[in-house]
Amino acid sequence: MTDKTPKVSRRDILSIGAAAGLGAGLASLEPSPARAQTMPQTEVAKLADLAPGTALDFAYPDEDSPAILLAMGGPVEDGIGPNGNIVAFSTLCTHKGCPVGWQTDQQMLICPCHWSTFDPAKGGRMIIGQASQGLPQIVLKVEGDAVMATGVDGLIYGRQTNVL
Amino acid sequence: MATPLPPKDAEEFRTACQFCIVGCGYRVFKWPEGQDGGMGPDQNALGADFREQQPALGQWVPPLAHSVITEGGARKSVAIIPDDDCQVNSGLASVRGAGLAAALYRPDGPTKTRLTSPAIRAGKAFDAVSWNEASDLAARVIKAVIDRWGPDAVGMKFFDHGGGGGGFENNWAIGRFFFEGVRTSTCSIHNRPAYNSEVHAAGDAGLAPLTNAYVDAQLADTILIVGANPYETQTNYFLNHMVKNLSGESLGLKEGGFPGEEVAPGRMIILDPRRTMTVATAEAAGGTENVLHLQIEPGTDILVLNAIGRVILERNWHDIGFIRKHTEVQTWEAYQRSSLMREWPLDELVRQVAAEAGISPDQIEQAAEWIARPKAGGARRRTLMHYEKGLIWGIKNYENIASIAGLALMTGNLGKPGTGCSRLGGHQEAYVRPAPLGGRPARNIDEAVRRGETKVYWVGGCNPVLTTLRAESIAGAFETRGALVTDALAATKGKPVTERVIAVVEAMKQGGIFLIGQDIYPTATTERAHMVLPAATWGEINMTSINGERRLRLYPKFMEPPGEALADWAIVARVARQLHDLYQADNNPEMANRFLDFDWADDEAVFLDARKRNFTGGPGDPMEGFAGIDYDLLRRLGNNGIQTPVRLVNGRPVGTERLFEDGRFGTPSGKARFIPAPPPWPGYSAVVSRQREQHRFWINNGRSNHIWQTAYHHRYLEFYRERVPVPYLEMHPDDASAMGIEPGDLVEVFNDMGSVQAMAYPTDAVKRDHCFMLFGQPRGAAGDLISDHVDPDTTIPWYKGVWADIRRIGPVPELSRTVSFKPQNVAG
Repeated sequence: MTDKTPKVSRRDILSIGAAAGLGAGLASLEPSPARAQTMPQTEVAKLADLAPGTALDFAYPDEDSPAILLAMGGPVEDGIGPNGNIVAFSTLCTHKGCPVGWQTDQQMLICPCHWSTFDPAKGGRMIIGQASQGLPQIVLKVEGDAVMATGVDGLIYGRQTNVL
Repeated sequence: MATPLPPKDAEEFRTACQFCIVGCGYRVFKWPEGQDGGMGPDQNALGADFREQQPALGQWVPPLAHSVITEGGARKSVAIIPDDDCQVNSGLASVRGAGLAAALYRPDGPTKTRLTSPAIRAGKAFDAVSWNEASDLAARVIKAVIDRWGPDAVGMKFFDHGGGGGGFENNWAIGRFFFEGVRTSTCSIHNRPAYNSEVHAAGDAGLAPLTNAYVDAQLADTILIVGANPYETQTNYFLNHMVKNLSGESLGLKEGGFPGEEVAPGRMIILDPRRTMTVATAEAAGGTENVLHLQIEPGTDILVLNAIGRVILERNWHDIGFIRKHTEVQTWEAYQRSSLMREWPLDELVRQVAAEAGISPDQIEQAAEWIARPKAGGARRRTLMHYEKGLIWGIKNYENIASIAGLALMTGNLGKPGTGCSRLGGHQEAYVRPAPLGGRPARNIDEAVRRGETKVYWVGGCNPVLTTLRAESIAGAFETRGALVTDALAATKGKPVTERVIAVVEAMKQGGIFLIGQDIYPTATTERAHMVLPAATWGEINMTSINGERRLRLYPKFMEPPGEALADWAIVARVARQLHDLYQADNNPEMANRFLDFDWADDEAVFLDARKRNFTGGPGDPMEGFAGIDYDLLRRLGNNGIQTPVRLVNGRPVGTERLFEDGRFGTPSGKARFIPAPPPWPGYSAVVSRQREQHRFWINNGRSNHIWQTAYHHRYLEFYRERVPVPYLEMHPDDASAMGIEPGDLVEVFNDMGSVQAMAYPTDAVKRDHCFMLFGQPRGAAGDLISDHVDPDTTIPWYKGVWADIRRIGPVPELSRTVSFKPQNVAG
């Protein structure tokens, strides 16, 4: 119960979920868009902007798939960049799809619905909680001065394939 | 990466989870591999549109929820996802249930190590044999032992529960075999060394282990949790019911149910020496101001519960109307004098108890207020009381349970919505057996195994090498005594069975023991056995069980068991029929008749036999009673089932949502009893006192969120195994750093009973000088450290009463690489 609590409360999420469920039902009447056959290559940030401690929201591989880019304090598992400290993860909790929040004090991602917690320094592995896989890790590479997202390791919540 | 979706025409089964007591509902889909459903809502059995991102709480098949099995040579996809329509979990999975599909047997996957054929030891290895050969040898050995040494020389250790390793069918058949057939009193269950209730005192008080409905956790004003950690080990009871109360989501339910009564979001009191994820998540859901964590010293729970009771008495918040109407009033008098220490000045008592327990006197006062202070308008506070192994495996089992039963009785918290006094439970339940022989206190049969009185020991679905007390000594007895029988079998390999039995009996005369290990996987116990019998499990047989609110459901068969594996009931039935024939051939009709009627046609026949022999549908039926129920009715009731005991009203089955709403308790008088505990508290036994004097650290031990029981499935599934490659040992960061111990270091934990290795997990969840070790992990048995002290009144061990020292071994990066050492008790 500190200011590091993710900004969205559990009850907010549960009502968002119910409303979004209705929306999805309506959306399904529309024809589905053409499928991308390969993962997009998307610039996420400039290396120069990623001082340790930076947390940056983005979406990948499409607008409906929120993710977070983290510049950790030191090298971490599968980290990229000159310091091996840059990682990114899907922020849809792999338990029931609520948005996980970044808790800077403990350096972990926490789901506000059922409190699964994930460790970005360990490939997004679950620390404790009710999900059955870690957070899907966004595969990154450095290209010149940019950090590019190039793929997803793990299945994004609520999808049958990572690319819709 | 992709997971296949079930097509619209997939076969669907509804079942409950095989793991914890909560018994969440799941949907099982099965279809030919490759003939998957499409992404459109009209193309898959979930009716969801996977061309779009699913919303939070939507439909999804995560990778561990899918597997491919082989059925009659054909490959079938299976997906297992939580059931939105089940009232227990409302579509939530726990980390355990989410992997139900991954735990299914597949010959080309991680679960391929399942036992698939009966086998008999041949030197260091085993020979696969037919069921006929195995059951013939088992029956002949058992008969020889009964005839020469009497039935008590036949030892048994079996599960007696529900869910994956149990069910009413198996329990009934096993009970009939040992208690009506063999008639041995050398019996024990699970990890403990005796055949006994863990809550004798609740029974003697006229209560039952499981009194409430899960919805009561949404209706209570206060939930008291003693020695339990429901976020981790009763997950969806906590998340789908308790949390809704703390967060205020169930306020509407309260307003509708209790018109005119003051209602508010619920409060929670947690007695636990650790600051667990349950404490953290309760605070996140309800606010720190509505959660009271009493972080007590070991063994002091009984002191604290009785001090709370005393404050309630002094404040006149007890329910004198309930006490007069529903309890044997003379026991209330004795309880006030003895348990509540009425003669001691209140302030002095509360101060001393607080000091002993390591908490503040104010916390005791506050707990009393939250439990029993009447609400504005005068209505009684509704308090739901829950307890589990912290109290059960505590300093004095009998009086510990009596103390929480007494607290519930004196505050009238039974038989009304929002109240109850129940175990939280570990595994599911399904107890139905003929009365065991022996009586109370139950005999500690580990002694008989060690001393040599037990000549044949049949262990089913249990692994005493990992989980009993002084476990090293049991493993040693299996090895030393077992070697004699191993030699006898080797010397007679290929000879007629009669000769082999003569050789085995000769080995037994020299101190040998014949060990039968019946299980689904090889275990540390089956590896030491002379005969291994492969059992079928959840999903492979039809079975029935009840959950923590006594919800009875059918868990249908949806796939074949591996190889030759059979239901446990069918295995003992085979041996029983063989014993019958052997005694007939021996012209011993009396013994032959003991093994009659083991010829059930199928699982439902066992279920109906148990029903007929045990339940009438009247008020005398136990908590598990299922009069009037058959499989067809259960199929129709689906994942919401019916709550036992089932009464017959005008010949029709009627379930029981919560116990004691009729005001009738389980004693001859129909009134409940207070059970006084001698003041002030039981104190440490001589054995435990010696350990405390010699060793610095308290080694509390227990279960975790993501490893079920002995990890018998999870040790094979990477997602679970990589999180706990060896048991972890939580220790305070200051203690760890003072000893130069880093997160992930291997340490040796040792005391006068034995030693074990564990992985250090520094965390402020534990106080200084306290530790918490994962129990029953296959690569490190906390049981090796546990003394053989038991409550003399119940033969229940104080598993948690362990003191030991710790020595740093050093880092083992290949083991700790996949483990996160971030705190497991942070929720915001």
